[in-house]
Amino acid sequence: MVPNPLPLTAPVFHILVALSEGERHGYAIMQDVAWQTSDALQLGPGTLYGCLKRMLAAGLVEESDERPDPVLDDSRRRYYRMTELGRRAVRAEAERLENAVTAARSRRLLGGVA
Amino acid sequence: MTADSVLVRCLSSIYSVLLYVWPREFRLAYGGEIKQVFRDRCRHVTRTKLLQVAVITGADWMSTTFREHLAAARKPVARGSIAEWSMTILMYLFATTTLVQAYVIPTGSMEGSLRVGDHMLVDKLTYAKPVPGVRHLLPYRDIERGDIVAFKYPEDTHQTFVKRVIGLPGDRIHMANQQVYRNGSRLIEPYTQHIGPGPDTYRDDFPTQPEMLTTPKGRDMFAHHMAHGDVIVPADTLFVLGDNRDNSLDSRYWGFVPRDYVIGKPVVVYWSYDAPTQDLEHWNVPHLIDVAEHFFTKTRWNRMFFVPRSQQAEEVRVN
Repeated sequence: MVPNPLPLTAPVFHILVALSEGERHGYAIMQDVAWQTSDALQLGPGTLYGCLKRMLAAGLVEESDERPDPVLDDSRRRYYRMTELGRRAVRAEAERLENAVTAARSRRLLGGVA
Repeated sequence: MTADSVLVRCLSSIYSVLLYVWPREFRLAYGGEIKQVFRDRCRHVTRTKLLQVAVITGADWMSTTFREHLAAARKPVARGSIAEWSMTILMYLFATTTLVQAYVIPTGSMEGSLRVGDHMLVDKLTYAKPVPGVRHLLPYRDIERGDIVAFKYPEDTHQTFVKRVIGLPGDRIHMANQQVYRNGSRLIEPYTQHIGPGPDTYRDDFPTQPEMLTTPKGRDMFAHHMAHGDVIVPADTLFVLGDNRDNSLDSRYWGFVPRDYVIGKPVVVYWSYDAPTQDLEHWNVPHLIDVAEHFFTKTRWNRMFFVPRSQQAEEVRVN
């Protein structure tokens, strides 16, 4: 019933990577993605929540009831965490990307040795 | 450094209105959080980067509009979809007719600041006549000397021109040997360039030779708005000059720009493409093919998101 999520789109992949170390709220995810990609991927709010909506439906993430940071807490914010399925998906995607990079490197498309 | 909170509030209110374009379900589920994220983002960037954030968010708003409506339409039960789509279309029309307008620079009269082929967004709100109820909510402001404005060309209102404001109502202006004098002070204008084909007394020592002029509005300027070798800018008009001072048809040739003719403020170059003037003024099939073939090589990528700035000329008191 749930469609196979692989390969992941770039925003979905980076959002999952952002959630790999724990729960985050929307803005923290946005900042983390910008940091991961050196600002190459700047998610707009609509794209971010559109992705989260689809990721919730696909079971890659879930909403968290816990409030991880009571000091900075704000009731308007919701926190998201990665599910086991999400973790498997992001790992599979990272392996796929690693294989792709290794292949590119072996043909000398990138610097370094194969 | 955080950006001006008034500006952030303005942008946030505009953004929350724009969110009504999105499908109701998506808006209700995530609208609050989305607004919160946008505010956080605005607060964490410097004022100069705020515009970039606004542009990125605007593009994101458009793509989300299409994506979420498509997603909503695929659902088996599309509740109130006609009402929703009408709302979407209305909001889209509102945004594109009253907030921004796309405009392309067809000639080189502002070369040095703006290049032929710069495609820009013009902010129609800032210089608009303030609507009483929302006067303090929206970022209205008066036109100042040194601002770049887009306006309807007084001799042919179908054409849009972009020039720099040199004189406001009441200012006395003349030029001597290519230097602008305003109210008796010489202006030091770092934004101008002089790459003229040679001296031209009419152009460089304005307004010493009114008899040379032929446009009706220009003749009116010489007949009614001159005193002691200066032109005097009348009420509710502007005196504008091109930065490419020697190759610019501007207020020297066709008089003042009525305030009502001002369309807005060019805010950002969203695409710059190296093409000749006639192709930019009238799109044609060879031009479209040219764009398709040379999009990546003829697009001036370094001008992407260039923001033209107002620049005040330094005034040097003479006599």
